[in-house]
Amino acid sequence: MPNMEPNKCPMPVQDPVLRSRNFDEVALGYTPEMAVNEAKRCLGCKHKPCQSGCPVGIDIPAFVSKVAEEDFEGAYQVLSASSALPAVCGRVCPQETQCEGKCVRGIKHESVGIGRLERFVADWHREHVTAAPALPQQNGHKVAVIGSGPSGLTAAGDLAKLGYKVTVYEALHTPGGVLVYGIPEFRLPKEIVRKEIEGLKALGVDVETDVVIGRTLTIDELFEMGNEAVFIGSGAGLPRFMGIPGESLNGVYSANEFLTRINLMKAYKPDSKTPIQRAKNVAIVGGGNVAMDAARCAKRLGAENVYIVYRRGMEELPARKEEVEHAEEEGIIFKTLSNPIEVLGDDKGYVKGLVCQEMELGEPDASGRRRPVAKEGCTFTLDVDCMVMSIGTSPNPLIRSTTPGLETDKHGCIITNGSDGLTTRTGVYAGGDAVTGAATVILAMGAGKEAAKAIDEYIRNK
Amino acid sequence: MFKILEKTPLNPTVTKMVIHAPLVAKKAQPGQFIIYRASEDGERVPLTIADYDREAGTVTIIFQIVGGSTMELNALNEGDCLADFVGPLGTPSHLDGLKKVAVVGGGVGCAIAYPIAKKLHQLGCEVHSIVGFRSKDLVILEDEFKACSDKLVMMTDDGSHGQKGVVTAPLEELIQNGENYDEVIAIGPLVMMKFVCLTTKKYGVKTTVSMNPIMIDGTGMCGGCRLTVGGETKFACVDGPDFDGHLVDFDEAMHRGAMYRDFEAHARETSCNLLHKEVK
Ligand SMILES: Cc1cc2nc3c(=O)[nH]c(=O)nc-3n(C[C@H](O)[C@H](O)[C@H](O)COP(=O)(O)OP(=O)(O)OC[C@H]3O[C@@H](n4cnc5c(N)ncnc54)[C@H](O)[C@@H]3O)c2cc1C
Ligand SMILES: Cc1cc2nc3c(=O)[nH]c(=O)nc-3n(C[C@H](O)[C@H](O)[C@H](O)COP(=O)(O)OP(=O)(O)OC[C@H]3O[C@@H](n4cnc5c(N)ncnc54)[C@H](O)[C@@H]3O)c2cc1C
Ligand code: SF4
Ligand code: SF4
Ligand code: FES
Repeated sequence: MPNMEPNKCPMPVQDPVLRSRNFDEVALGYTPEMAVNEAKRCLGCKHKPCQSGCPVGIDIPAFVSKVAEEDFEGAYQVLSASSALPAVCGRVCPQETQCEGKCVRGIKHESVGIGRLERFVADWHREHVTAAPALPQQNGHKVAVIGSGPSGLTAAGDLAKLGYKVTVYEALHTPGGVLVYGIPEFRLPKEIVRKEIEGLKALGVDVETDVVIGRTLTIDELFEMGNEAVFIGSGAGLPRFMGIPGESLNGVYSANEFLTRINLMKAYKPDSKTPIQRAKNVAIVGGGNVAMDAARCAKRLGAENVYIVYRRGMEELPARKEEVEHAEEEGIIFKTLSNPIEVLGDDKGYVKGLVCQEMELGEPDASGRRRPVAKEGCTFTLDVDCMVMSIGTSPNPLIRSTTPGLETDKHGCIITNGSDGLTTRTGVYAGGDAVTGAATVILAMGAGKEAAKAIDEYIRNK
Repeated sequence: MFKILEKTPLNPTVTKMVIHAPLVAKKAQPGQFIIYRASEDGERVPLTIADYDREAGTVTIIFQIVGGSTMELNALNEGDCLADFVGPLGTPSHLDGLKKVAVVGGGVGCAIAYPIAKKLHQLGCEVHSIVGFRSKDLVILEDEFKACSDKLVMMTDDGSHGQKGVVTAPLEELIQNGENYDEVIAIGPLVMMKFVCLTTKKYGVKTTVSMNPIMIDGTGMCGGCRLTVGGETKFACVDGPDFDGHLVDFDEAMHRGAMYRDFEAHARETSCNLLHKEVK
């Protein structure tokens, strides 16, 4: 008999006042009792609508029913058949628009807490099962993977399981991509990412940090070194600026710089050697997950007032709902329908204010969202000493400019055949943000998976 | 791991190190740089590739001890390893086709200018080097510059070695005397490069400068190294570090460079205290 409770079992979280002053994880995770109870809310629908909402096609009713039976390791086996990083996805997937958005329990009431259950199972496995996976039988073929974000890690893992000798090349000193340099500790503890990467190494994957493809080595050289195929998962890390006056003042950061200093370089720790401005009043420009992360980091660094400046309304915020709610609870101030037009500086070149234009919503634009238009003559100035630009990124041109025959579109995204990630170069595949522009962890993983399959076929049929 | 094969002090505050980094050595070209982290929790610090030996797989760096992270590097010895050493980063200097060039170096900027002078010399270009230091004790690479320059002018602020004064004076004199430079390449403190550019602008001599803003990743990801060049935003780590000096907004670069001065003063103190402890 399913549990007919209309609402999801609430996720235990750190108190908002306390957590807005530390970098520990906000959501604390279900207890086994909570997980079992929540799992019992699932109806085990035969046609599995939830599964069709998951970009990597996890057999959701199967893993959830294992949780209901208290067979947590069995549940993990179901998850890991489809997902390389369940502990990550359970935490950061935009579930409300994916799996949970399709759940039949969500029609009248709240959907089953699929993401929370996924996180529970992955955490349980990590904490209880220590046996190393069996080393796959090597097939004697070599493949190189560029970038160690979710797309690269997934492709590497899948290929290693098929017996390939995989080397992952990463430009930074720590592997993980956005999972380590972008998404903050309080949302995704770095220890989890580290463990996932250790798991890959246990499968025989080599991870070479400090190698910039396009500079240290080129794709052509990767082939000369005996690799039969290359997967590009280099992400979309090139930050955009608005081009408004005052953007080069001290105290104007790109979200990438701000978050990299804090996450990768650990600037939030008192003994870190990397400096970060401890600002009093901070404006974050943008409304996505990245903006929420930057805002919540600024608060945790001790800022009194943190503003999200976004040109559309609350309804249009592209961030995950949960992140917006958490940000509101932590006291982040939302200045929606506002667009920055100038950064003001003091005589020493530091930010002292942000002039914004008030906006209103007009006709729907190409994206179907109502287009923000300026309200004539209505501007206001926010009294801030720091500003973080979080208005998007595009793929880095380094690989494109050093790889003859690799074509990109007008946004700099690598062109692929769409289905399996094959680029305009034979044997070169690509996926994740490098192809789509900034998207999500799970889509990047899905692309890594498809490409691994295609690479395997390509090499077997050569 | 990246092993330190040689460590030589060049003057009381400048050290030369030869590092084993075969992949970097294989690709390195003048004008490019590396980023190192001395230890697992160290800062990412950019340094120019002063020299390289593809066969031996080594890269030479020359650095001035200015703050916490360069002190940390200087505390390491031959046989020790650096946690990270990534490169070569940045766009190589465009040196092909130049017939006559004035290379102007200031202080530790001479370490960055030297590989360029050397490469130009190898390419058969006539090289006039003008190098400036605060005083005699701080002079570095004099013999190296002599070996690759058709003319070498040595300047010190106090006149304790070579001529007394700043580098712009002899540069202007040479230009006035009819030396027709295809290009002036100026590398040193921002103020020096700014004044070299003001000088050469008067005579319409193309001038390239090597910018060294604060960097983190060095791959074009953070945007922290941005500069305004000809009214456009450029990322020094991928678009540079070389730029047309007549287009660079030096005043902006100067205030951006001072962003973390207070923090760094503190880091420097902490490092000094640590060093004192170790000495005791
Ligand atoms: C702050 C922030 C918060 C986010 N929050 C969420 C969220 O809550 N939910 C969600 O689903 N998504 C979120 N995203 C988006 C998600 O993280 C990305 O879509 C995803 O990480 C893309 O994966 P990827 O593998 O394509 O690339 P990335 O994760 O960007 O990894 C690319 C890697 O390649 C390396 N690289 C780049 N160029 C080279 C080169 N030339 N040579 C060698 N290595 C190279 C990079 O250093 C990097 O490590 C967020 C993104 C950010 C920035
Ligand atoms: C492309 C490039 C090439 C360089 N080549 C050389 C070189 O060959 N030899 C050499 O001695 N120095 C070089 N530098 C400068 C060198 O990186 C800085 O001196 C070093 O980072 C100082 O670190 P610190 O912690 O010891 O000192 P800090 O106390 O941190 O700083 C001292 C000074 O260095 C500046 N600085 C701090 N961090 C950085 C950073 N990450 N990037 C740039 N400047 C910074 C500060 O603004 C300050 O003026 C180069 C810089 C760049 C960007
Ligand atoms: S991976 Fe993401 S979309 Fe798929 S089931 Fe898990 S939380 Fe849902
Ligand atoms: S749609 Fe919801 S209730 Fe149905 S199987 Fe999926 S998770 Fe269970
Ligand atoms: S150092 Fe980060 S973009 Fe140049």
